[in-house]
Amino acid sequence: MNHALRRISLVILGMFLLLLLSVNYVQAFEPSSLAVQRGNARTFSQQYQFQRGSIVTADNKTIAESVHVKGIYSYQRVYPVPLVYAPVTGYDSLYSATGIEQAEDKFLSGSDPQLTVHNLIDLVTGKPKRGATVQLTINSAAQTAAYAALKATGLPAGAVAIDPSTGAILAMASYPTFNPNKYATFNSAQLRQIDNHYRFEPSQPLLNRAIEQTFPPGSTFKVVTSSTAFSSGKYTPDTRVYAPTNLKLPGTNKELINFDNLPCDDGSNPTGNGKVPLLFAFTVSCNTVFGNLGMQLGDTAIRQQAERFGMNDPNLRIPLQVAQSSYPPVPGHDPALTAYSAIGQYNDQVTPLQEAMFSAAIANHGTLMTPYMVQKVTAPDLTPLVTAQPAVLSQAVTPQVAAQVTQMMINVVKSPDGTAHATASIPGISIAAKTGTAQNGANNTGLDDAVFTCFAPSSNPQIAVGVIVKGGGLGADASAPIAVKIIQAYLASQAKR
Amino acid sequence: MPRGRRRTELAMLVFAVAVVLFAYANVGLSMTGRIPAGIVAYGLAFALLVLVAHLAIRWLAPWADPLMLPLAALLNGLGIVMIYRLQQSGRDGNSGRVISTMSTSSTVLQMIWSAVGIAAFIAVLALVREPRLLQRYTYTFGVIGLVLLAIPAVPGIGSEINGAKVWISIGSFSIQPGEFAKLALAVFFAGYLVAKRDVLSLAGRRVLGIDLPRARDLGPVLIAWGASLLILIFETDIGTSALFFGLFLVMLYIATQRTSWLLIGGGLFVAGAFAASRLFGHVGERFTIWLHPFAGNNPFGISYQLVQGLYGMGFGGVLGTGLGNGQPYWTPLVQSDFIVTAFGEELGLTGLMAILLIYGLIVQRGLRAAIAVRDPFSKLLAGGLAVVLALQVFVIVGGVTRLIPLTGITTPFLSQGGSSLVASWMLIALLMRISDTARRPAPQPIQEEGMTQVVRGR
Repeated sequence: MNHALRRISLVILGMFLLLLLSVNYVQAFEPSSLAVQRGNARTFSQQYQFQRGSIVTADNKTIAESVHVKGIYSYQRVYPVPLVYAPVTGYDSLYSATGIEQAEDKFLSGSDPQLTVHNLIDLVTGKPKRGATVQLTINSAAQTAAYAALKATGLPAGAVAIDPSTGAILAMASYPTFNPNKYATFNSAQLRQIDNHYRFEPSQPLLNRAIEQTFPPGSTFKVVTSSTAFSSGKYTPDTRVYAPTNLKLPGTNKELINFDNLPCDDGSNPTGNGKVPLLFAFTVSCNTVFGNLGMQLGDTAIRQQAERFGMNDPNLRIPLQVAQSSYPPVPGHDPALTAYSAIGQYNDQVTPLQEAMFSAAIANHGTLMTPYMVQKVTAPDLTPLVTAQPAVLSQAVTPQVAAQVTQMMINVVKSPDGTAHATASIPGISIAAKTGTAQNGANNTGLDDAVFTCFAPSSNPQIAVGVIVKGGGLGADASAPIAVKIIQAYLASQAKR
Repeated sequence: MPRGRRRTELAMLVFAVAVVLFAYANVGLSMTGRIPAGIVAYGLAFALLVLVAHLAIRWLAPWADPLMLPLAALLNGLGIVMIYRLQQSGRDGNSGRVISTMSTSSTVLQMIWSAVGIAAFIAVLALVREPRLLQRYTYTFGVIGLVLLAIPAVPGIGSEINGAKVWISIGSFSIQPGEFAKLALAVFFAGYLVAKRDVLSLAGRRVLGIDLPRARDLGPVLIAWGASLLILIFETDIGTSALFFGLFLVMLYIATQRTSWLLIGGGLFVAGAFAASRLFGHVGERFTIWLHPFAGNNPFGISYQLVQGLYGMGFGGVLGTGLGNGQPYWTPLVQSDFIVTAFGEELGLTGLMAILLIYGLIVQRGLRAAIAVRDPFSKLLAGGLAVVLALQVFVIVGGVTRLIPLTGITTPFLSQGGSSLVASWMLIALLMRISDTARRPAPQPIQEEGMTQVVRGR
């Protein structure tokens, strides 16, 4: 039997070697991949043992910080103004993170290689490890005004404000929203309950409507169509263009009409079959004129222009991932569909951020700056780690074309005929704008989305705003007042400095 | 002149107690910054227990292997320390979460069970003065083993805890009879196989260079196979089932030296397990947990315990977090089936490999006794006991590290729970008894210096 026993001993030796290999695999080779697996509470709880970095606004208001607490964990995340900044900060929970909390986690948690040197020094000097402070470009006055104005509509809505000369995002608000403080709980059962509640709530509070949802741009897209026309060199604001009351769409039995089936008449087109200046058509937002103009310019030229405004880009990050605003190619360059696309219908889709980018490009003499939200990252010892460098995203139009579009956008507010005259004319500030009322739903039976893009002051632009209110009705009525409030709040805060 | 090496044993025991006390102090220092107040009481009690065991060996089995007791004592002590550490989690101002499946008296209970285990150890050494005595009761042990195995499946007596029906409740105590059935069946298999090994090793047809046994001799294998499948089906306990069938097969192989038995048995086991995985949801689920632990909702559902164990071991890495500094409380039942992951987390890869080597050494000492002892029954019994210990470690450590499908089974000496601890001590007692027999020198004729040596006439 000894022979068999010796062989069994060898087998058992083999089994123990297998076990040793197996524990070596798990503990020496796998730890880094296990650490990032889903549901690894150890990795997440680890970060509550030290102070995570704060998130502050451009004007140094703290919007996320870690405070010392008693219990299993030493620090808990607190969001002092949770609802207003939720789309910006996101949340940081035991199991996951979103928003800036996720995008800048390396700096906030202190795991970025740039910070390890500082941590090492802290370790030697006996100071506890801390995360870096992330300063955003967000202006607290603009952000607060944006959220309050969106909330007042009671409708799903998003708004974004940009500094046209740099691309710095001044405000990014979404409604309805969520309370990130509720995600800061250490009670995992409670956390799951909160998460399920927000996840399945029909109003989708976790959705950041400013950058994660797209809407039809409606007539605001006429900014792009006009830019295409001026860039072709064949048009100026004074060019008289065909302005029928009903535009027959070739190859269909349909007709394109204006809002409320109104004629496009500045007094020089009484037959409803003549011409009006392009400036007038833009000011009163004639669909028939721009539909026809779109067919003249062609689908390809408009699409290329739209792309120079930042559309059809799936990779935009601010550093949060932005949903793609799209102007897809019209199948077979069909003229009828091109006409719809030229007035922001058919398959055109934009985010409120894209709306702000339209105006920002025009305001900045045709140069579109890359939008960004992180201004500066500072190590715990106050060493700056990252400082934002404004960068050009694209040259949307020439300065001449930008001036021409600006002239028309000013007229939308200034002219008594202008669609935004009633709601966006305010004393002391000249706003340049374009309204949009996007039809929605099957056979356009849904409530119209109210869209608005603008910048101010028109002579020396400091802020560009995009607002979309879902089901808000007329862009001029629902969205323009929101943009005005954001502009007033921002300019007032700048004047005080 | 062979020596009993009892002094070596005593010196090693001092080391074992020192390591355990150091670990205990370590837990207190990292959890509260102070050496735990109970260190004197616990330390004295533990030292006294192993001293009593050592003295009993001097008296009852002076020639026994000197390493087994220190190794077993070290594991038992480390188990108590880890249970203390887990029990303290989230209590008395310690950081972490309270492990709801543990009470504040867990450590004291484990200490009491250790005392019972050492008492059982001494009792076995005292009662079984000669291993061959057991051979007389071969079939008695067979019946005892089967009854112990079957009891938990009887409605009204057995109780299901954590999905496996391997417990019986007596008052407020729960006992896992399977732990003791293991020992009884090892004795039965040894006695039975020694008696029948000549018949079972008769060769039948030769296929592909392997001598197949005769068809009529397949009976015992099929019975053992059937019994292990019944455990699998009625007690939903894959670990115990695999352990018994594996034990039987290896002992059959040692007795007959026929590789064909291993192949036939292994084939039957794989076929049975495969069929069971298709027919019974809980068995199939084990394979899903094994193969796809991170898929879909599994990390939050069926494979929660496994992945938390893996996360813990990964968190510990090569050097570990140090006792008391990890977060083993996230892993459900970390104090019993998953205690290995707690050691992996807090003592690291280094500590866990050391623990595996301790088990490996015990098994090696057992096999060494089996090879050294002359009597075939003792040889087979020692081999079987060493193998069952190795299999048990392989099944649980392989399970928690995803080497093989996870099955719930205790970790000998470390896991919380009395049955496993007492049975493990009895197993060590049997191995030491056999090694004592093996190493005991043959009686020497009496001689006195200066006298003419008496030459026996025979």
